[in-house]
Amino acid sequence: MNSTKLNFGKKPIVKINKSLDFFNDKPLFPEKLEKANNMLKKIGLPESKVFNKQ
Amino acid sequence: MNLERYELQSGEELEVFEFVSEGPRGRIPKIVQYFPTNYKNVYHLGFGDKNQVTGEIDDTIVSNNEDSEKVLATVIATLYAFTDKHRNAQVYATGSTDSRTRLYRMGISRYFDEALEDFEIFGELESSWELFKLERVYKGFLVKRK
Repeated sequence: MNSTKLNFGKKPIVKINKSLDFFNDKPLFPEKLEKANNMLKKIGLPESKVFNKQ
Repeated sequence: MNLERYELQSGEELEVFEFVSEGPRGRIPKIVQYFPTNYKNVYHLGFGDKNQVTGEIDDTIVSNNEDSEKVLATVIATLYAFTDKHRNAQVYATGSTDSRTRLYRMGISRYFDEALEDFEIFGELESSWELFKLERVYKGFLVKRK
């Protein structure tokens, strides 16, 4: 039986469109970004070997 | 069977992605942005529809284009592309509505075993984090490539 997989291991093919770099420093979802910052300020980050590895 | 994904476009930094959903409601441009938070290496994942006339982004609209699986697979593909380039990034995602957050949780749950091969996944509780557990309700999600 076949199962449905996302095929995570396969590197996605991404066509580069340099015009999209214009948005790199412009938040397109400012309200949600603010909520994320507030949440991080409130509860911080999880303790984890993976997460704390820089 | 591998799930289909839409063709992706991105800037060179792989922080902003676009793709086009195709279905009964037509072609709907979608945009995914990974934007840095105030915390080092922590990025917020934003996802929404791009209005073809005004160019405005709407992350609350429900497209009903009957391709949610393909859209979800495409958004996850952006997560792979982004974390391939930004290896130490931690990515936070939450839905703009409870139903969308539930959709994200269902997506993670459905492909949980596969996702765990490459990511550590935490679920956001009221005032803390826990390692993601199936069937739990979370306010948001934080992931990092292993």
